[in-house]
Amino acid sequence: MSATTTGTTSPEPLSPTTGEPVSEVARRNRLGIWLIIVSCTTGTVALLVAYAYLWSLNVSGGWAPTAGQANWADDWPFWAIALGMVVATLLLWRSWRVMQSGKSGASVALAGLASLIFLVCFIGQIMQIATFPFGPQDGAYASATLWLALANCIWLSLAMFLATAVMNRARVGRIAPDNASQIQFIAMFATYLCIAALLGAVFTLTMKASPNQSSPAFGTFQS
Amino acid sequence: MSTVDERTPEAEEPESPTNRPPGMHLATRWMERPYARRIILLTVIISAVIIALTFVMVAFMNLSGGPASDIQGEIEKTMYVLTFTSAPLMGFTLAILTYSWWGGWGKVKGPEEPTEEGPAIRTNGVAVVAWITVCSLLAAFLVIWGLVELATITASSYGSVPANQQPNAAKAIDINVTGQQWVWSFQYPDQGKITSSELVVPINVPLYFNVTSLDVVHSFWVVEAGVKIDANPGAITNTGFTPNKLGTFNIRCAELCGLHHAYMETNLRVVTQEQFDSWVREMGGAKTS
Amino acid sequence: MSATAVIHEQKHVPQPRQVGKPGGFLHRTNFTTAVISGIVLAAIFYFITGAIVQKVTGGGQQNNLSLPDGLQQQITMMYIGWIIGFMAGIGAFAGPIRWMLGHDLTHADAEYMAGKDMGRKKFWKYTTDHKVVGIQYLIVALILFGLGGLLAMLIRTELGVTWAEVFNPNFYNSLIGTHGIVMIIAMIIAVTGPLGNFIVPIMCGARDMAFPRLNALSLWLLVAAIPPLVSNLLMGGIRDGWTVYQPLADQAPVGMIGYQITIIVFAFSTGIASVNLITTVVTMRARGMTWSRVPIFVYGVVGSSIMGLIWFPMFQYSQILALSDRVLQTSFYTPASGGSVWLYENLFWLLGHPEVYVIVIPATAALLEIMPVFLRKPLFSYKLAIAGIFGIVGLSAVVWVHHMYMTGWAPSSNYPFMMSTEMISIPFSFLLLVMLGTMWRGKPWMKLPMMAVYAVIWNKVIGGITGVYLSDTPVDQYMHGSMFVVAHFHFMLMGAGLFGAMGAIAYWFPKMTNRYLDELVASIGFWTAFVGFQITFFAMFVAGLQGMPRRVLQFDQAFNMANWISTVGAYVIGIGMLIFLYAMITSWRSGKLAPGNPWGAHTLEAQTETPVPHENFPVLPVVTSDPYDFGVPDPYEMLDDAELEANEGVSKVGAS
Ligand SMILES: [Cu+2]
Repeated sequence: MSATTTGTTSPEPLSPTTGEPVSEVARRNRLGIWLIIVSCTTGTVALLVAYAYLWSLNVSGGWAPTAGQANWADDWPFWAIALGMVVATLLLWRSWRVMQSGKSGASVALAGLASLIFLVCFIGQIMQIATFPFGPQDGAYASATLWLALANCIWLSLAMFLATAVMNRARVGRIAPDNASQIQFIAMFATYLCIAALLGAVFTLTMKASPNQSSPAFGTFQS
Repeated sequence: MSTVDERTPEAEEPESPTNRPPGMHLATRWMERPYARRIILLTVIISAVIIALTFVMVAFMNLSGGPASDIQGEIEKTMYVLTFTSAPLMGFTLAILTYSWWGGWGKVKGPEEPTEEGPAIRTNGVAVVAWITVCSLLAAFLVIWGLVELATITASSYGSVPANQQPNAAKAIDINVTGQQWVWSFQYPDQGKITSSELVVPINVPLYFNVTSLDVVHSFWVVEAGVKIDANPGAITNTGFTPNKLGTFNIRCAELCGLHHAYMETNLRVVTQEQFDSWVREMGGAKTS
Repeated sequence: MSATAVIHEQKHVPQPRQVGKPGGFLHRTNFTTAVISGIVLAAIFYFITGAIVQKVTGGGQQNNLSLPDGLQQQITMMYIGWIIGFMAGIGAFAGPIRWMLGHDLTHADAEYMAGKDMGRKKFWKYTTDHKVVGIQYLIVALILFGLGGLLAMLIRTELGVTWAEVFNPNFYNSLIGTHGIVMIIAMIIAVTGPLGNFIVPIMCGARDMAFPRLNALSLWLLVAAIPPLVSNLLMGGIRDGWTVYQPLADQAPVGMIGYQITIIVFAFSTGIASVNLITTVVTMRARGMTWSRVPIFVYGVVGSSIMGLIWFPMFQYSQILALSDRVLQTSFYTPASGGSVWLYENLFWLLGHPEVYVIVIPATAALLEIMPVFLRKPLFSYKLAIAGIFGIVGLSAVVWVHHMYMTGWAPSSNYPFMMSTEMISIPFSFLLLVMLGTMWRGKPWMKLPMMAVYAVIWNKVIGGITGVYLSDTPVDQYMHGSMFVVAHFHFMLMGAGLFGAMGAIAYWFPKMTNRYLDELVASIGFWTAFVGFQITFFAMFVAGLQGMPRRVLQFDQAFNMANWISTVGAYVIGIGMLIFLYAMITSWRSGKLAPGNPWGAHTLEAQTETPVPHENFPVLPVVTSDPYDFGVPDPYEMLDDAELEANEGVSKVGAS
């Protein structure tokens, strides 16, 4: 954190905050992002485990939304939102490449578009939650599905913030062709979000009726 | 290590270098170091103390009248085995600790920094390999013993096989155990569904428990029989044992279950078959077939 | 260990335009503004939520806790408001907003935020300097230990008074729960907080942590998370032990929400701190500090951070879902409508067990760092120590089910998990050998940090041998849920963790406060606490063996004697800890001034001046060897070698 730096040969820009070459700062940030992704993965796994475990147990026959009628959530909104996220993420990766090749204007536009798609996904996610054919109190499936969607909602608001910030920083020149790695880090994180959303979609698609239809009724002995 | 004392006089004689493996020679030389025998002696003493303490521990476990089943017997046996296995290692550790503490290798007191440095022992291949080997073998032994014992007590508590499929199904008694805040209740489905707040069972008859809860998680602990299983709401868990001692024993709740968790206890009464039959009649149930 | 060389030279770096004074918004924020804005936002959220709930439900909402309508939601939002308001008031959101707007920090901004030339005020601000954060962590840890210790005294008082109920059972249950979780949090931060932040960057030869602002964020998130936890005692308490098993936790009054919010926020704090520590160590080590020259304490902190990073979200999500069960009426853990208690137990213990190693590993590694210095001998088998640490980190992921042997969730899983649990004793034995090997033939310098090594090894032997019983499923069938377990984990967490942390803090106290810790008074406190500790928990072992369940406030008369002894021992611990605390406070204020390297250590932090200058090193150091180059050639080995070569022509075979 000092305004001193090594050597004089490097033509690389220096970080105004610490005086280090920006590649040095980028190296730290890259590792930091990877570690955050690792940590977030555990959280996603916790939600997926909760979904799959409750599905497999069907405690007190309480998995399905309402006994008799199968009020499962529609599949297509999960896939539509995940698809939107994938597109936005690809745009972010593209934005990074374009920035590296020196076209900052195009890069700003791509990041802006990505941010917009994230916004659309976010609104779609809210609408999906609002139109679920069940409420949070309608059994374990409803709970697990609701939380997969809610988690996605939180991720999307974060992705919106990050993509907008990237766009703005590129616009004011804080992200430049010779200092473009921040777009890459955001794209890495967005890629993780896509994987999480896709996994959620796969789980809700493939695990509907519970395989265990003989769970004991609450508080009774069968045998 | 036990040959130490016989070797000592030999070491004073001039060695004949030709017919001894170098390892043996080194071991002998090592034993001549002033601290070696003291540490071995300390190890033996401390290990003996640890082993002696196990007997005290098991005595405490049996203070309330146990063991009341084969399972508890197995548990106590396992405690001895576990201690015997780990005592030498723990004894050795504490021996070095004590020796260093008492200044066997010297010690520096006072505020001044020490002036001399110790021997620059970076590592020692023999010691590392020997230690890892011994520890791994001990751990492997513990694992194998544990797995065999677990299989044994699972068999004694009928594992998860229902009573009517057990080899000795004809004799076994099914008991439905329900935990709720903050009482236990026992239902005897084969004895006309009588329900009791006390567990009364005949001696030497296999018991098979179906356990569940009506509210929160409890844990069904028959203390002197060494049997414990959680009572979970929304699930039925199974365990069992064969009581082999007449008398009154303790049943406690071993999982915090709210306000009166501390008072969620009842008795296990192990009685003779005749007493059991008359108890069943008293409770208004059918006689055991 | 280090030869230094000038590798950095002054050079002008183009600076962005300075907007306002250096530090910007952070000029106006400090702890007071944070508390005020936290309280204000909490109140706003509370009343708005109340109005919304009233409107939505029309006052007709059903709940099974006979609580006023919407109170759960209101309290939840109140705590969330507190957290957001506090973090906003301390200035935590200034960074992301400036980043988004592209107003990157200038060098002057960074220096202001690091608290350069600010005096004492910097301890009350969003200060990024790792040394300030380290001290702040130390204070927070001490406050938590004080609170947890006080609760422990109350618990032991209840258990010692065997003839009456001193407390209402609900309050007693809240006491054990709050004691447990407060102590767990205190222990998790006890070493990696103060020492990981203060010492590790200097040990690595860095000027600061990799992400200084995240460092401040992790500290202030922790501070923000504490009031919700403590306030539970005023709001009906958490009556469920520190594990807050569901669905019992669902029955608890609104105090439980405080617990859940605290864990959710604390998990963020720990995750951020872990990312920061790992990145610092991996990317910011001094020149020449290869992986085989990194001090073992740094490895310990990294190992602990890896476990925290990977497993903390499990705990966090277990509480998010529990909170959702409470305020949204979902049914993750309510068995009547499809939830499972085993889901909670699994999620909880997936962190719950690694967390034990999160606590024990850094404390152990700190002692490994201390031993060579006080024995003037190299660390024995450095590589084995690293293998031990990472062996534990690896195996920690696959042992959690040993807390669930008796739940019946999957009886056949007891076989593999018993195997993995017993296997974890192998990497632990590596660390034990390293300790014994370092002690072997060394001449100990009998100062307090070295005393802590002896105390901790003793406690670990007791904790280890009782752990062997508990890892064995058949024996655990008797021990599980009894006082024996409580005594065992106190030997590991307090005996190895806390006493180790006390030794480590005594060792680095001069570096952190530029004053010596009063050796005599601190030692009296340490040994008093140690003796009290042995009395308390040996008696507790006996109570457990006799069959006393844990978390009870009244019990069979057979356990009276053990509990009386245990309570007396607990008071002795309390007295000892107060003496130690007194030594710390008086030494901090007016102790003897310490030089830069008070113990003659070879690590980098011992090569800096005391007090450590603003950016740690005037010139960044270059490392040329590992920090354990103590000692003179081994006389025995030379003797053996000479004789062997003369007699048999065998070259060097170590046999010390
Ligand atoms: Cu209970």
